[in-house]
Amino acid sequence: MGERKQPEIAPGAFALDRAGLFDLADIAIDAARRAGADYVDIRLGETRREFLRAREDRLEDVGESADAGFGLRVLRDGCWGFYGASTFSRAAILTGVETALANARAVKPIQPREIILETLPGVEARWETPFGIDPFEVSVADKADFLLSVNAAARDAGVDYCLSTFLAAREERLFASANGARIAQTRTRVEPRFTITAVDKASGRFATRDSLAPARGAGWDYAAGCGLVEEARRGAEEARRKLRAKPVSAGVRDVVIAPSNLFLTIHETVGHATELDRSLGWEANFAGTTFVKPAMLGGLRFGSELMTIQADRAQEGGLATIGYDDDGAPASSANFAIIEKGVFENFQMALGQAHLIGLPRSNGCAYADSPRAFPIQRMPNISLAPNPERCSLDDLISGVDDGLYIIGAGSWSIDQQRDNFQFGGQLFFEIKNGALGEMVQGAAYQGRTLDFWRGLDGLGDASTNELHGVFTCGKAEPMQLAPVSHGAPVARFRGVRILDTNAAA
Amino acid sequence: MFLSEQDIEPIARRLLARSRADACEIAIRGGEEQNLRFAHGGATTNRSLADISLRVSSHVGRRVGSVEIASLDEGAALAALERSERIARALPPDQDYVAPLGPQNYEDSRRYGEATGTLGMEALAARAGEAIAQGMAAGVDTFGCAASGRRFLAMVNSAGLFAYDRRAEVEISVTARNRADSWSGWAGENAFDADLLNAGAVARRACEKAAHDETPRDLEPGRYTVIFEPDATAELARWLLRALDARATDEGRNFFSGKRGGEPLFDAKLTLSSDPADPLAPDSSIGFEGVAQRARPWIDSGVVASFYRDRAYARKTGAEAVAHPRGFHLRGGETPIEDMIRTTKRGLLVTRLWYANMLDPRSLLLTGLTRDGNFVIENGKVVAPARNMRFNASLAEVFARIEALGPSRRAWSAFKDAGAAAAPAMLVEGFPFASRSAGI
Repeated sequence: MGERKQPEIAPGAFALDRAGLFDLADIAIDAARRAGADYVDIRLGETRREFLRAREDRLEDVGESADAGFGLRVLRDGCWGFYGASTFSRAAILTGVETALANARAVKPIQPREIILETLPGVEARWETPFGIDPFEVSVADKADFLLSVNAAARDAGVDYCLSTFLAAREERLFASANGARIAQTRTRVEPRFTITAVDKASGRFATRDSLAPARGAGWDYAAGCGLVEEARRGAEEARRKLRAKPVSAGVRDVVIAPSNLFLTIHETVGHATELDRSLGWEANFAGTTFVKPAMLGGLRFGSELMTIQADRAQEGGLATIGYDDDGAPASSANFAIIEKGVFENFQMALGQAHLIGLPRSNGCAYADSPRAFPIQRMPNISLAPNPERCSLDDLISGVDDGLYIIGAGSWSIDQQRDNFQFGGQLFFEIKNGALGEMVQGAAYQGRTLDFWRGLDGLGDASTNELHGVFTCGKAEPMQLAPVSHGAPVARFRGVRILDTNAAA
Repeated sequence: MFLSEQDIEPIARRLLARSRADACEIAIRGGEEQNLRFAHGGATTNRSLADISLRVSSHVGRRVGSVEIASLDEGAALAALERSERIARALPPDQDYVAPLGPQNYEDSRRYGEATGTLGMEALAARAGEAIAQGMAAGVDTFGCAASGRRFLAMVNSAGLFAYDRRAEVEISVTARNRADSWSGWAGENAFDADLLNAGAVARRACEKAAHDETPRDLEPGRYTVIFEPDATAELARWLLRALDARATDEGRNFFSGKRGGEPLFDAKLTLSSDPADPLAPDSSIGFEGVAQRARPWIDSGVVASFYRDRAYARKTGAEAVAHPRGFHLRGGETPIEDMIRTTKRGLLVTRLWYANMLDPRSLLLTGLTRDGNFVIENGKVVAPARNMRFNASLAEVFARIEALGPSRRAWSAFKDAGAAAAPAMLVEGFPFASRSAGI
């Protein structure tokens, strides 16, 4: 205890006192085991965030935060007990051990089936997100200038309103378990965004255009270099075009969907549908269950042959890219196909779930959104594999007589079993006789998950692939927010129901 | 970590005394809480939590920099203070700068009780146990979450503001699913006073809704007479309240833009208000930015009465700063839900809504789905479960078509959410469903 060799991390990337925190972890694990815990793990660390918001030519809000603490989890007599606090001290740790064990005793009367855990390897390791420029080392003045230049570009292109934000987050985490795991990780991510609004005062109409530039596991160099200023200029022109665009004609049409929209459809219809905890009913009271059942493993035809959906924690820039998950499972275990050539092959799992469907161990899909939060099953990066054969956007469009090309994520909604969905978008273009036509507005597409994916009949190659993602996917009670990326090529779907939201009411 | 007004004051005063900025604001938040979840009648995850945060905002030459930390440790607090000043100095001056808010007179908001705030995990397990027992008795499976705790917020600044608010809450929500996993029901309640929460009764409501073995009916999408239970009404009202944004209205970006004041936009039965003294759903007495919340009508007999606006926009437009309420009350009527059902020839009873999202703020077009307890009403009786459906409905139309309202009651809003809500059951004509969902 205390003399264990600690994994080394480059100075700067991990600002906390690692040795001191590992000592606290040792105290917690020893005390919990002596008091009868069968398993114990602990996450300690801090999430640092920086946030800027600019509205038109005004910087509305600038700040940074550091949210620190620990979360101690014990298994005793087949029951979980958990305690989280924002204090790093020996006294708080000992209170945590006592409370977590008391919680395990308190829930025993409502624990008819013991919780059973597999043993994950007790590795000593470190990992950090590779990035060019540390976003927390760039002056706030430079970031403010960046957002104000985004808004100025929109204004100069003729719109009245532009709201831009920049968010950087860094999670420093130590994980230690009774299995001997000692893992130190630092993940860094950035999210540059804008929403442009063009108003036509004469008609009283307005149109918005949200940025398409994705959030990434990356540094300031990515945010500054992702073309947001140029996109604001283009976006302002597109918002003005949307004002004049005719309403989409509703009906069942073929659609070609850009990665900037399809990523969210993958997230909602495949990502959430294949979470084992949902399938087991553990999220039934809030986030929901899923139409996908364990008996469907290896048998359910989820989509067409073109559909292969791969999980990973290794993609460069992925928001869920990391070395080990929050149960201490290695990233390599999260490298699996969820859907292989249209057939459902694997659930996403966290610790203590695999044996319930006859599998040996977790596949590395746990995440806790704060060091004080209970780790639950969350998505790794989940991506639609591009077509190995050459196929461009034009190739896909040329195969559509009467359809719609959809770009960017808009309003979204899906039922709690991940069947009936409705997604909007940012930009819509008619496709007529195999060619891109004029811009239309007010479209949303509505579908049923399996029908939709079985209608996938054209897939772009790797040259059309883009990695998009969300910073804040919500799940669990109390709600935890997880970052996750989804890669996708451009793709074509047959027979999709298009709504005109101008007329839908 | 739960702190009293007396705990906070010296900490805040000491820190303010060390500020070298033109002005300084301090916000301290924290609490103690626990929750436990259960599924298939057995415990899954649980947590006890003690947390604290300190936010320091320094004002320097019409610029504001903020730093938040998870500690009240003096060294860390002073470092945060220094860093917030450094951030402020690095920013361009703000033409719409507003100085810190001066002293406010806050009304009392009765949301705190020691006994409720200090309930332990055993108390939650006992309540979850009652819910599970109800499920076993009804022959259905139960899933849910019980939570309790107490939290405080303090805001202190160099302009003389001292605000302190605290609340204690307990909640339970239960989803019941029949044994064939082909139908479900939900009920949830939260209360500021543990004595008012009857976990067994909440669970019984969920179980009764779920205990149907017949195949749910598949209805054709289209317009239906719908009776929304109070939790569903509250969800629709929450979206309407969110749309009452003064700035978006002025800028031509929402439903209210260009509408004349005093014009009735909704049914005269619609009155939506917030009040720190509301007996069912007391609002927090401290609004966003520390602005004191008063009893306020938002929509009065179908006419918009208030919009919310932040302090900077209020100053710019010469209007009053009005904080978005954290709790609200949609005033009830006198038609019991049983009478609404009895007078409905053909319609739907909706328990709960799910994944609502605004499709078009100009027409208040909202999409979403029904969930966990959707039933067909025929000739004055609830006759069968009805498969869930998606709606695309304009809130302007929905709230213009109120046929009847029941007595309002405390409606669901999760512990961590925006605050208490009270709403009645609501009968609406011609509510539009767009498509079917197989999701149960």
